[in-house]
Amino acid sequence: MASFLRFEILRSLRNVRFIVFIAGFPVLLYLIYAKQHGTSEGLTVAALLLVSMAVWSGMGSAMFATGPQLARERQSGWMRQLRVSPISAPRWFGAKLVQGLLLIIPGFVLLLALGFGYGHVHLAAARVGALAAVLVLGVIPFCVLGLVIGLVFDGQTAQVAQMLTMILLAFLGGIFIPWSNLPHVMQHIGQVLPSYHLVQLGWNAVAGRALHVTDMLVLAAWAAGLGVIAIWRWRQESTTA
Amino acid sequence: MTTQQPGTGAAAVTFRDVVKVYHPDIRALDHVTFDIHRGETVALLGPNGSGKSTAIDTMLGLRAPTSGKVLVLGDQPAAAVTAGRIGGMLQTGGLPEGAKVSELVGLFRQLYRDRRPVAELMRLAGIADLGDRRVERLSGGQAQRVRFALALAGEPELLFLDEPTAALDVEARRNFWRSVATISEQGTTVLFATHYLDEADANASRIVVVNHGRVVADGTPSQIKGYTANRTLRFTTPAPDPAQLLRLPGVADVLVNGDAVTVRTGDADATLPALYALGLPVKAMEVGGGGLEESLIALTSEDNRTTDHDVARNSQIMERVG
Repeated sequence: MASFLRFEILRSLRNVRFIVFIAGFPVLLYLIYAKQHGTSEGLTVAALLLVSMAVWSGMGSAMFATGPQLARERQSGWMRQLRVSPISAPRWFGAKLVQGLLLIIPGFVLLLALGFGYGHVHLAAARVGALAAVLVLGVIPFCVLGLVIGLVFDGQTAQVAQMLTMILLAFLGGIFIPWSNLPHVMQHIGQVLPSYHLVQLGWNAVAGRALHVTDMLVLAAWAAGLGVIAIWRWRQESTTA
Repeated sequence: MTTQQPGTGAAAVTFRDVVKVYHPDIRALDHVTFDIHRGETVALLGPNGSGKSTAIDTMLGLRAPTSGKVLVLGDQPAAAVTAGRIGGMLQTGGLPEGAKVSELVGLFRQLYRDRRPVAELMRLAGIADLGDRRVERLSGGQAQRVRFALALAGEPELLFLDEPTAALDVEARRNFWRSVATISEQGTTVLFATHYLDEADANASRIVVVNHGRVVADGTPSQIKGYTANRTLRFTTPAPDPAQLLRLPGVADVLVNGDAVTVRTGDADATLPALYALGLPVKAMEVGGGGLEESLIALTSEDNRTTDHDVARNSQIMERVG
């Protein structure tokens, strides 16, 4: 599994679009908005945005490990080729999960450097550690979501589905604009989304507040629910495809 | 038998009464039975849509049969795949973007427990000069050779090749079959699907002909060819009379084009003397052999597919094969 993981990471890092998406885009947004004055959620804008952008980057990394790439490779026949090799489906997914988690690192490190240097955010090492832990565990449902998108949609459609899903999750979850500024209906929708709960966990971790068990449970429920769909689609495909 | 490791004494492939139904009306495999023994190189020959790929997918564990028994190396297909005992080159097997050929080959050598040395692998597949190339910059033929390398990476006991030479040029094709012969000599059992009839004839020790999801013939290439024993006589004669020629013994059909005549016969030894006995000024006589192509057309043509006569002839061939 280690060799497969190394192989997958190496070719992800050569994917320019992926790098721009998980590192370039959040860095750019941070540069534009981090200098704004004011506080929200008990944090300065610079600290708040650091968490938001790290969550965006993490979601993207996790979903790109599977998502449209999986859809393309199902279509091209590469997944079939893998299925006649000794790597089993659980090991394949395990590697994909770890891939999604490890590829958070470049975006996260860049954002931390910007946050400290450019945004003048002051964070104790323990809080940085807590944020990292939140991200690593919290992106698991997004990794499974990518898997579902990659298994349900085909090629180009998966690309579009992925982008729409990410943008919706980010807006309604309060990552792009403060959640309290959203219309009421959207707030209600946002409150059940994994993105909302992940970014809440992140802000609390950075602010040194207690992490809510509810947030963790909702994320776990999303991972479990999406996992059931993914397994169902996977089985369906392996028996009838 | 009891002291052997599981599967080592078993047939390479056991296919017993296998049925695969996609839709109620479409039987991709219709009660197919055959065995492939260790060390054989078997061609699965048939037109497109005959069930070849479905049969191979079933043996690779990619599809479950609707009914019947499929064993590979004495085991369930999926178990044999996971154990790394099988190599498979599929008809559609895209390669992952962003990877270099050497990385891909390296990955597959590590996924399989038996690792064929890189140099040997690259040489066998004819990709020694492609190691640094990104897979998305490979030509169709090069990609196909890379996929061949992946199938060989584990030194498999059993190798499946589904239409393996479709994108290869003449020279690459010749090299490909030379490599298949090499690994066959090393003891690997090979099963390949093809509709290139000359390839089955030249490279298989046994041919299983399938059509409409059924085995219509099973034998050595010469048995399959002998099955129809057709010969083609080509000659010229002034103002030929098709009706007269058609009455000659053994003649199946006659084609006349000006002075040029083509006669297809099931018994050239009887047709030729009778033709000369007519006293016609016959010139430029050519006797053509019954190629595999003619045999295949005869075997798989619609009208003799389901007759009792056909079934009887098939069972004779089966007996001869043993």
